[in-house]
Amino acid sequence: MQTGTMLSLLQDPMGVPFYPAVFQALMVLTFALHILFVNLSVGTTALAVFGRLKGGERWTALSRGMGKSAAACVSTAILLGVAPLLFVQVIYDPFWYASNTLSAAWVIAFVFVMMAGYGSTYVFTMRSEADRLGLAAGVFSLAMFLTAGFTMHALNFQMLQPEKWLGWYTQAGAAVTSGLVLHDFSLPRFLHFIVPAFAATGVYLMLYARYFEVRPDLDKEHLSWVGRLGGGLAFWTTGVQTLAGLGWLLSLPPEFRFYAHPVFMLAAVLGASLLFFLYEARRSPGGPQRLAWPAAGGLLATVLAMAAAREALRGLYVGRSGFTAMSHRVNLDLASTALFFVTFALGLVVLAWLLSVAYQAGRTAGRWEAGPRMRRWGWASVGLLAAWLAVVAGLGVVVTLKNAGS
Amino acid sequence: MYPVWEVPYLTAGGVLALIATFHMLPSHLATSAMWLSVYLEGKAYREERPELLEFVKKYSKFLLVFSYVFGSLSGVGIWFSATVAAPRGISGLIHNYVWGWATEWVFFLIEVAGIFLYTYSFDKVDRRTHLTVGWVFAAASWTTMVVIVGILTFMLTPGRWLATGGFFDGFFNQTYWPQLLLRTTAMFALAAAFAVLVAARLKDERARAEVVRAAGVTGLAGTLLGAACFAWYHASLPAALHDVLDALLTPALGRWMLYPALAVGLYFAVLAFKPLRVGTAAALGAIVVLFASVFALERARELIRKPYLMPGMMYSNQIIGADLPAKGVGSDAGRFARTGILAAAPFVPEGLRTLGDSNRAEAGRMLALLECSACHTLQERGLRPLPRLVRGLGMDDPAAMTGFLDALEGYPYMPPFVGNQAEKEALAAYLVALARNGR
Ligand code: HEC
Repeated sequence: MQTGTMLSLLQDPMGVPFYPAVFQALMVLTFALHILFVNLSVGTTALAVFGRLKGGERWTALSRGMGKSAAACVSTAILLGVAPLLFVQVIYDPFWYASNTLSAAWVIAFVFVMMAGYGSTYVFTMRSEADRLGLAAGVFSLAMFLTAGFTMHALNFQMLQPEKWLGWYTQAGAAVTSGLVLHDFSLPRFLHFIVPAFAATGVYLMLYARYFEVRPDLDKEHLSWVGRLGGGLAFWTTGVQTLAGLGWLLSLPPEFRFYAHPVFMLAAVLGASLLFFLYEARRSPGGPQRLAWPAAGGLLATVLAMAAAREALRGLYVGRSGFTAMSHRVNLDLASTALFFVTFALGLVVLAWLLSVAYQAGRTAGRWEAGPRMRRWGWASVGLLAAWLAVVAGLGVVVTLKNAGS
Repeated sequence: MYPVWEVPYLTAGGVLALIATFHMLPSHLATSAMWLSVYLEGKAYREERPELLEFVKKYSKFLLVFSYVFGSLSGVGIWFSATVAAPRGISGLIHNYVWGWATEWVFFLIEVAGIFLYTYSFDKVDRRTHLTVGWVFAAASWTTMVVIVGILTFMLTPGRWLATGGFFDGFFNQTYWPQLLLRTTAMFALAAAFAVLVAARLKDERARAEVVRAAGVTGLAGTLLGAACFAWYHASLPAALHDVLDALLTPALGRWMLYPALAVGLYFAVLAFKPLRVGTAAALGAIVVLFASVFALERARELIRKPYLMPGMMYSNQIIGADLPAKGVGSDAGRFARTGILAAAPFVPEGLRTLGDSNRAEAGRMLALLECSACHTLQERGLRPLPRLVRGLGMDDPAAMTGFLDALEGYPYMPPFVGNQAEKEALAAYLVALARNGR
């Protein structure tokens, strides 16, 4: 069977409820945020383990902070991973499902690997510094996160090669149904997703130092050390990342001429500017943490552009079999589309309240008191959620009555 | 039709069922625990009772680790296991309900930010703000249930959707409300059972008695109302599903649905009137018993969906059996009967696409993988093992077996055979051989 025919047979016949480009944009956006937190999870865990191995007052304190950060980052990474996971299945369904079913055992293992790794970050944080079990738990977490990352990488790489799928599925003329094999991976590609763990964590340390510097109860000396450490880490690993990116670029099929792709060029320019900026930040008089916020902005912009470039590259891969994500039939469903976008807008208001409470409380020594504005915003958040429920329940009653008996 | 994943003994669907059942515990705890928590927190502040606050802190920490490490990951696990067990099924759901899931995800964002903030800010923000965070969390987490129940019940009773293809027509279907209330009441029983577990480790006598009594009352109310909702839910099922239930519900499964629920109700009743000191082991025991009845309910829910993944449209083996004009979808069955399923399904080894003497046995196995392995293992032991079931029929010639395949439609819980005559005969020959030599 021709690969193109196969893909069109696999494509879901029900179409999509809104324009594919919108799903694509949401996918790129949420993937960028997801991978950023994946990077932070790996980086903070690694640093927590390193700090505990290294010992001494500074590193021990840093290790404790990183352990707590890791738990929050992993949770956020999972949370933000759900969205691109959903959207990739909307517009790349044949690719995603084929790659997953071909390596099904790995897909299931991924879940348990993540549970084990995540569970043991809590063991790490709850054990004292002297305890070897705690250290072992940290090392174990890191190993699990890397395994999970590699599995996702392989699944995403397999999906780009539909012409090989049937070969992978066949052995001695029969179907291979064990799902035990990961069929392909690309080391340069994987490295390009993992090295930024340290660059992102470097920027995170700069932010950490910047954020806590207003707290009178915290040690200024220590924070300034953390900031400088972060600045150095961010700069050097961004440099390594540039090389890793070059390696990946060279490993791509030459006919793609990806180096000349405008989205890639934009991402590369942003990456290079970030590198330059981080170099300058290290020489800033108050330490690199003075420039923590612009550095974080630059990092976010770069990651977003790189995520878009990755998507453009995927387009080139799937295009080889004549597929495009835009080919899905649109069965327009405006009601549910509106449901999502209204909920999203409302949810951001509520989420922003939570985050801003957390932000302000964390910068206060002792107990933080909400001002009248924050208090009203809090009530409004509860009110918005209640209103959402009331409207949806009302809609539900109307639909139920309309459909009753038919 | 994507590659088939065979799991020895269990089937891929069995893996999905195990993960999904486990997920019931953390997910229903996540949606319910905060209501009890903010109630007790408010009480602690009003009556200046720091010892109650101690419980609330422990309870929320437990919630954070249990529900948001194991809960969120097992939730993702359901999705992944559905992906590898029935990719076309989950794909169909997603292509209809993507905005529903995306909407749930928004509340999920609020939930996770909320639980971290709540758990780590007891001493970091003023009391009123802390309570507001609790309320935001409680509302958002229950709302995730309001959304997901629409999708879950759609898989059971798609209702008007089959005619209109409309999102809300499928979402607010005939089992939506009873199922939402059933899960809501059951979740309170679960929250109560976990509260007793956490309270078992409180040192302060009075606080413990108070928490246990509150949990007893909540749990008892949850169980009683849950029983009422279950009756409503049962009554709301369409006749076709009742037929399947009658055919497949074993007395043992029926007992599993009933007795553990009764036992748990009794447990709560005792605690509500006499808040005894319950040890950790006993409290865990109660959770296991409660879980047993939830497990049985979920099994029954899965059973009555047979032979469909999407009732009236896609069979359990992912073959689309009917047209769906509202979405422009044509049935596979007619197409496969004309061309043969081996020729037309994408993931079939090239050597098996056209039947001949040399590949007949292997082709027969491929057909069994495509059409039967969603519900039967091909091995001697495990979930509904085909060799044994076929032997049970007592047919050992291929012609009679072909007749059985023709009659599959007569079973309320099995899909019909789909494919051409030659393929049907190849499958029949394979089944007979399988029964004879277990291969
Ligand atoms: C939707 C799930 C499903 C699919 C798909 C399915 N079956 Fe079944 N089958 C069942 C169930 C449920 C039973 C009842 C098992 C029991 O009683 O323990 C059953 C029973 C049987 C029996 C025993 C029947 C009897 O009367 O004793 C045979 C034989 C059988 N199946 C063969 C097949 C074959 C061959 C296929 C593929 C063409 C198939 N089944 C596909 C669900 C399925």
